[in-house]
Amino acid sequence: MTITDPILSLDGVCAGYGGGDVLQGVSFEVNRGGITCIVGPNGAGKSTLLAAVTGLIKPRVGSIKFNGETISGLSPRAVLSKGVVLVPQNHSLFPDMTVRENVELGAYTIKDRQVVKDRRDKIEEMFPVVRSKAKDKAGSLSGGQQRLVEFARCLMLDPSLVILDEPSMGLDPKTLHVVFQTMRAMNADGRSILLVEQNAKAGLKASSHGVVLENGRVRLLGTGREVLEHPEIATLYLGGSVEAAGGVR
Amino acid sequence: MSNFLRAVIDGVLTGSVYALMAAGLTLIFGVMEVINIAQGILVVLGAYLSYVLSVHLGIDLFAGLIITIPVMFVLGVGIQWGLMRRLGEREKVSMSILVTYAVAIILEGVLDLIFGPGYLQLTAWYVNQSIHVFGFYLPYIYVFGFILAVGLLGSLYFILYRTEFGRSLRASQQNKTAARLIGIDVNRVAAITFGIGVAVTAAGGMVFGATTAFNSNSSADLISRLLTIVILGGMGSIGGAMGASVLMLVIEAIVSTYWSPTWATLVFYMVLVLVLVVRPAGLFGQKAVRAQ
Ligand SMILES: Nc1ncnc2c1ncn2[C@@H]1O[C@H](COP(=O)(O)OP(=O)(O)OP(=O)(O)O)[C@@H](O)[C@H]1O
Ligand SMILES: [Mg+2]
Repeated sequence: MTITDPILSLDGVCAGYGGGDVLQGVSFEVNRGGITCIVGPNGAGKSTLLAAVTGLIKPRVGSIKFNGETISGLSPRAVLSKGVVLVPQNHSLFPDMTVRENVELGAYTIKDRQVVKDRRDKIEEMFPVVRSKAKDKAGSLSGGQQRLVEFARCLMLDPSLVILDEPSMGLDPKTLHVVFQTMRAMNADGRSILLVEQNAKAGLKASSHGVVLENGRVRLLGTGREVLEHPEIATLYLGGSVEAAGGVR
Repeated sequence: MSNFLRAVIDGVLTGSVYALMAAGLTLIFGVMEVINIAQGILVVLGAYLSYVLSVHLGIDLFAGLIITIPVMFVLGVGIQWGLMRRLGEREKVSMSILVTYAVAIILEGVLDLIFGPGYLQLTAWYVNQSIHVFGFYLPYIYVFGFILAVGLLGSLYFILYRTEFGRSLRASQQNKTAARLIGIDVNRVAAITFGIGVAVTAAGGMVFGATTAFNSNSSADLISRLLTIVILGGMGSIGGAMGASVLMLVIEAIVSTYWSPTWATLVFYMVLVLVLVVRPAGLFGQKAVRAQ
């Protein structure tokens, strides 16, 4: 499958944490304006891949291009300034700061206070919880509320590529629904999405494209539907347990 | 009664200076999760710097801080940038203890080489003259040192809670990866934090040197006390360090007055052991690594 105008492309990326490569030559593309979902078992290297894209770790070899421009090896701040943001898998709010402070810190790299305030006002309108809990400590919110605050914060820089690492983790079906809806709304706003999802069925259903990662290598590429319906994948990742976990329509 | 009052006042005034020195130590721990064993010798270095400026250049002890505080700041940045930054994430705390212990031994050797083993004390009119309060005489330096410590601790709080840098510091302290992901240069924050944490030893060292006779060996006792205070206050908590400093020095002064100075030092460490057994997170800590 070829993507004519990818927003992000990886080519032969090898990366790790200093003790050998976790990613062993990963190549794929993220299509502009779509939702691309990466699925794969625990430890496949999904989060590592996102760390390499966002500059948290530097690839040993291979290239990562954003809008045709090489971003591999840049600092997280430099990658951020290109318009790429990551909402990581683990809690990423500053627990002792208020929700409002957290959201404002999303625009840490913007020095113009007025711009920050205008954006914050707009985002508070999109996320009611951000406004109603503005003065609460972020650490006191429920897991689902924290997720939404993280989403709100990542929009402060008006990114063109939003990367979400397992946004559904630990959420009840209702909250999960809200989170997926929010993701689709971001996508409808013209932002490309790169999603890592443990709930493979729900993730792939919501996505235009799918990537299966296994042992640090791309195992399968295709449209969301193709990957979802691939017989091998169906038996490997989409067994009864996924059904039981409650898919999102 | 007058004796008791005197012990309390003594403890509060000296405690404030210890609070300042401990605040630097705990701030460094809070942001970087490294323990700076060299903090004690850095206080002594601060005292020696003040000594050189006042004896050889005739600069007033307090005015000299305008020079020594920036010098110590740069030294702190240098230690972080040159040594601590290179430590891996694994075994970071224990490695940091070893590295800063090495720094302490080197500094101690150099100071011993330059100044010799003899005891020194800083002097000025406010060291020699006393005010009469509540029926006893108190050297002015205790009062001035208290005002200095409170002022600098206030500045520290201002930096932490009212400045852009303070925000990035607190963010780095609370979640390093998230801080990097919003564009904070965590290495830069760490270097400046180490600088600030060490800069306070310039002021602490000056007051220490003006109230106590010191030589290069004085650091061992100092660092033990500072570590005790930081642990009691809850690692990483500046407010906790302030409370623990005052509490410990008041206890020490009272024991020293009613019992003996030898017992006072002993009681200091007995409280540490007791607290660690009963409340391992420290007297004030619910959870370690908090700025409040
Ligand atoms: N900070 C780290 N330091 C060293 N090794 C790490 C680190 N993070 C992850 N790894 C290792 O890299 C490999 C891939 O981990 P990664 O987190 O990328 O997997 P994942 O696909 O995201 O898994 P999960 O679905 O559980 O989130 C694992 O073997 C893991 O042990
Ligand atoms: Mg992961």
